[in-house]
Amino acid sequence: MNQTTTGFSPQVEAGARSEFASLVDVLRRRSAEQPNDAAYIFLPDRGTERISLSFAELYARAREIAWRLAQRGQRGDRAVLLFSPGVDFIVAFFGCLLAGMIAVPMMVPRRASSRDASAAILADCSPRLAITRRDLLTEARPDLTERFRTAKLDWVIIDCPNEASGKLQNTAPDLGRDDIAFLQYTSGSTSAPKGVIVTHGNLLENSEMIRIAFGNTRRSTHVSWVPLYHDMGLILNALQSFYVGAPCVLMAPVSFMQRPLSWLRAIHDYRAEVAGGPNFAFDLCVRRHRPEELQGIDLSCWKVAVNGAEPVRATTIDRFASTFAPYGFDARSIQPAYGMAEATLLISTGRRGAGPVIRAVSRDALQHNRIVAPAQAGNAQMLVGCGRPPCGERLAIVCPETRMPMGPGLVGEVWVAGPHIARGYWRNPEATASVFKVQTASDGAPCWLRTGDLGFLGEDGELYITGRIKDLIIIRGINHYPQDIEETVQDCHPALRHHGGAVFSVPDQNDEEQLVIVQEMERTFRRQITPEEITTSIREAIIREHEIAARDIVLIRSGSLPKTTSGKIQRPLTRQMFLAGSLSLV
Amino acid sequence: MRAEKPSEAAIQDWCVQYLARTLDLPDHTIDPEMTFARLGLDSANSVFLIVELEDWLRLELTPDLLFEHPTICALARHLAVRTDR
Repeated sequence: MNQTTTGFSPQVEAGARSEFASLVDVLRRRSAEQPNDAAYIFLPDRGTERISLSFAELYARAREIAWRLAQRGQRGDRAVLLFSPGVDFIVAFFGCLLAGMIAVPMMVPRRASSRDASAAILADCSPRLAITRRDLLTEARPDLTERFRTAKLDWVIIDCPNEASGKLQNTAPDLGRDDIAFLQYTSGSTSAPKGVIVTHGNLLENSEMIRIAFGNTRRSTHVSWVPLYHDMGLILNALQSFYVGAPCVLMAPVSFMQRPLSWLRAIHDYRAEVAGGPNFAFDLCVRRHRPEELQGIDLSCWKVAVNGAEPVRATTIDRFASTFAPYGFDARSIQPAYGMAEATLLISTGRRGAGPVIRAVSRDALQHNRIVAPAQAGNAQMLVGCGRPPCGERLAIVCPETRMPMGPGLVGEVWVAGPHIARGYWRNPEATASVFKVQTASDGAPCWLRTGDLGFLGEDGELYITGRIKDLIIIRGINHYPQDIEETVQDCHPALRHHGGAVFSVPDQNDEEQLVIVQEMERTFRRQITPEEITTSIREAIIREHEIAARDIVLIRSGSLPKTTSGKIQRPLTRQMFLAGSLSLV
Repeated sequence: MRAEKPSEAAIQDWCVQYLARTLDLPDHTIDPEMTFARLGLDSANSVFLIVELEDWLRLELTPDLLFEHPTICALARHLAVRTDR
């Protein structure tokens, strides 16, 4: 591979190389070398039991489920994982790996929503099997079997005691780095989801990069509440701890939302070194801080407080560090990170104990993609650095139009290359070619991943993310595609024209992204329904289908939505007009 | 500790005021007969409502409660007669 002129990581020649042949190899080694050490602990919510699984138990249970999978499918078949929070997801995941099947983690669809991504994911990857628990399928969500009827899934109930059991032998099948481990469906819209193909080699190399950057060892206990179907929950938490041979303490996401301080308490109880989540998680801890609930808590053990999966805010870092300093929390533990499923996960982060790098730039100049020092304090925007490329990765800032690499201090698209870049999108050669196998204008190697994110490198090599090329909306660490939400809006009432809306996000007074909906309304319907009634229906539909609250719903005159001459919706311009108050309201 | 338990009407008023504040809307626009979804309460805000109610009423509640009692009226009616209060 040629070297690029910018963003070249000096450590690249040394390169991270994981010593393992596959994740199964890691599992066998852990089970042999530290059989009785805890691998996963699931913390009880009120009224449930604490569940602990050692490495040897994990291996034994995974072999059992692998044997059952092998009776019902073949190597390379896809198996959907549908679980409520707990350790069974992990057992099923390793079961798939041992059987050579491709795991497909999936969020359990919400009861009320009719068009989440699940149906399209099933159509896209055509799984033979679905693995779940008996209580989810029979008690909590009996609607799932009917909902997925057309996918013709063969359901494997992980806790079904009646099924004849056996254990897969150590010998079968032989797996290597090029074998596919799982498909991560976090990209693409609801109607056209894209499954990122992650190989054993990708996982091992990215795990090794994370290990080096975070300085993790067997003593690096993790505490995580991030869902396991989310790449951050799976790779940065559950698989990283496993990779280094440390325990991972798991909590249900809803337990965290309800009692965020219980996350901090678990970090204290288990003397955890690593715990992280999206930016909003840190805000939530500050908002819910009650000194009387944290008596005797000592957070000095917490060495890596990863903040990733949504933009990292300087105000969040300051507030969190000052609120929890009295409990021994060290601000230098805060470790911003940037990544995406297409790069397995991690693209850049700081080093353990280095602390976040925060830089003031001119807000006005930044809007025009220029980086200059702020002329006066009122015009300063604080940017939090996302660290540097990990060992073994190449990162370049590239002009998205000319594909020419750009120097430090210039804003361009973030491109990355390395052994952790996923193979592509499942059965989608067009999208794979345009995102994964791209070349810059200065080198011939079609090896780059286009992230779609905008950023720049500081003179010291620190990466700053400043925005996105695509109109993706990120709220609480979840990616939302505007076209999905626009479609939901337009299906609410015939007065709302298709292709007549724009959805985007704006920061509120706390710098948290809030959803704004702008939609054209036909005047001829004014006698049948009031704008207030339509707004209420839209609000309800957005909650039902996308689980987000719309901050503002603006109905505008038909034909007044900004579009290009070719009829393309101009979301950034609509956003500007919304902020300036210059939209033509109905 | 609280001397007497809040009445159904008091719980209803409290919910209206809390949601008006959370959703940044005038009190009179919060219809207690309207479903939480129509009012614009997402899952995160549903959890926060439950947590605040727990603090105030000193009860253990689950987020599923808003699914089972989907309006302010229904929720207040349910909470007012809870025997564990």
